[in-house]
Amino acid sequence: MKRVVVTGMGCISSLGRNCTDFANKLFEGKSGIGPITLFDTQGFKVKVAAEVKNYNEQDHFSEKELTKIDRYSQFAVLASRDAVIDAGLDFSEPLAERTAVVHGTGAGGQSTQETGYRRVYAENAKRLHPFTIPKLIPSASSSWISIDHGITGPAFATTSACSSAGHAIGMSLLMLRSGMVDVAITGGSDALITLGTIKAWESLRVMAKDTCRPFSLHRSGMVIGEGAGTLILETLEHAQARGAKIYAELAGIGMSSDAHDILQPLVDGAARAIRLALDDAGQSPESVEYINAHGTGTIQNDHTETQAIHAVFGEHAHKLAVSSTKSMHGHTLGAAAALEAIATISAINEQTVPPTMNYLEPDPQCDLDYVINKSRPMPLSVALSNSFAFGGLNTVLVFKRYNKD
Amino acid sequence: MSDSISDNILNILAKHSKLERDKVTLDTHLGNVGVDSLVLVEIIFDLEERFDISIPDPDFTGNQKGQFETAADVVKIVKELIEQQTKSS
Repeated sequence: MKRVVVTGMGCISSLGRNCTDFANKLFEGKSGIGPITLFDTQGFKVKVAAEVKNYNEQDHFSEKELTKIDRYSQFAVLASRDAVIDAGLDFSEPLAERTAVVHGTGAGGQSTQETGYRRVYAENAKRLHPFTIPKLIPSASSSWISIDHGITGPAFATTSACSSAGHAIGMSLLMLRSGMVDVAITGGSDALITLGTIKAWESLRVMAKDTCRPFSLHRSGMVIGEGAGTLILETLEHAQARGAKIYAELAGIGMSSDAHDILQPLVDGAARAIRLALDDAGQSPESVEYINAHGTGTIQNDHTETQAIHAVFGEHAHKLAVSSTKSMHGHTLGAAAALEAIATISAINEQTVPPTMNYLEPDPQCDLDYVINKSRPMPLSVALSNSFAFGGLNTVLVFKRYNKD
Repeated sequence: MSDSISDNILNILAKHSKLERDKVTLDTHLGNVGVDSLVLVEIIFDLEERFDISIPDPDFTGNQKGQFETAADVVKIVKELIEQQTKSS
């Protein structure tokens, strides 16, 4: 089976505009969570989110482009530009045709949707901007990335709520292994800090009262974040042939479904995804040192995820370092698996595990080592990144330290 | 104190529980009739819409501890909130 490696990374989030800032802030335990500024939260219970700071779309896109590109696509394009530059890739043919673009999103062009609906339903507008449709469709991000780099190979979007980027990375891995493509630009993006979306999340009553406290007693739920992450994946042979810098190996993926409930997570479904990932990567449970958890900070997920880790790892569970970086960058939904993959790869490269921040005190139902409130230098060769989405759609990625053989 | 408020509340609880309406009484324990944390969210939505009140988040420990153990608990809280609402308007 062809081996696949990570040769470039790019991201934009509440923790900064590039992967260096992102990783540094994670290791320093800095939070991107703060008061919502993107809309007026008068009358809202939810007042905090993890917004991208000081973002001005005119800095990155022309007026003409802005008529056609929603905020979520903008993030996807910016993260992908950085990743492609980082990988040092040039997409003339034949590589352009042998490259895939697979980006994930939970909702696509949400702010375009909400603007459109407000105009039509509340303001009785006679017309909408002609480019409303191409802006809001969830495939727009992948289209824009392919246009931006002249990619003529397979390009499409994946969607599975909080696992969207996990499935995008998974599809890319499979296409690379099959020999269909040599390179993939993959990841995910969402920009859902909008009035309508936050109102809907608030109504589900899973939102944190103060901040995101994964695995902690007194945790009260999620904090929404926005942003995008992109990985450049390549077959090892293609990367070696061009002398590419290699960040880590993407050794495997596990994809499972709970077949249970549209909201409630299931221990068996999560455990299955972890097991499948380890099998796919040819790794034993005992070889794993770190798990970047789904860790949303809800009562449900954190308990279920803890049980799933126990189920798969047995005695070894207590030797694992498990942390949730959502405590710092929030739950970025369709971007989550991509940003968290970047966090996991950074951990391997720095031989340091980022912390679970905002932890108050132990919950007896969450009894693992969550690397609380401070990052930890430690030897790291094998790490997992979990994503467990609403509707029971699970992905687990396995990253390995790359040693030149 | 209006019985029609209790009646409306019990109608909403019956709709979301496994029981026939005439089996739902003030003593009914919500946890015993299929009301878990997610069903509770739907009940709260219906109550807030019906009475134009805002119910503070209950304690979702999954053990049904907190405000909403029995139908009587729900009636009590809703009536308190309606009264607060009337006073402030």
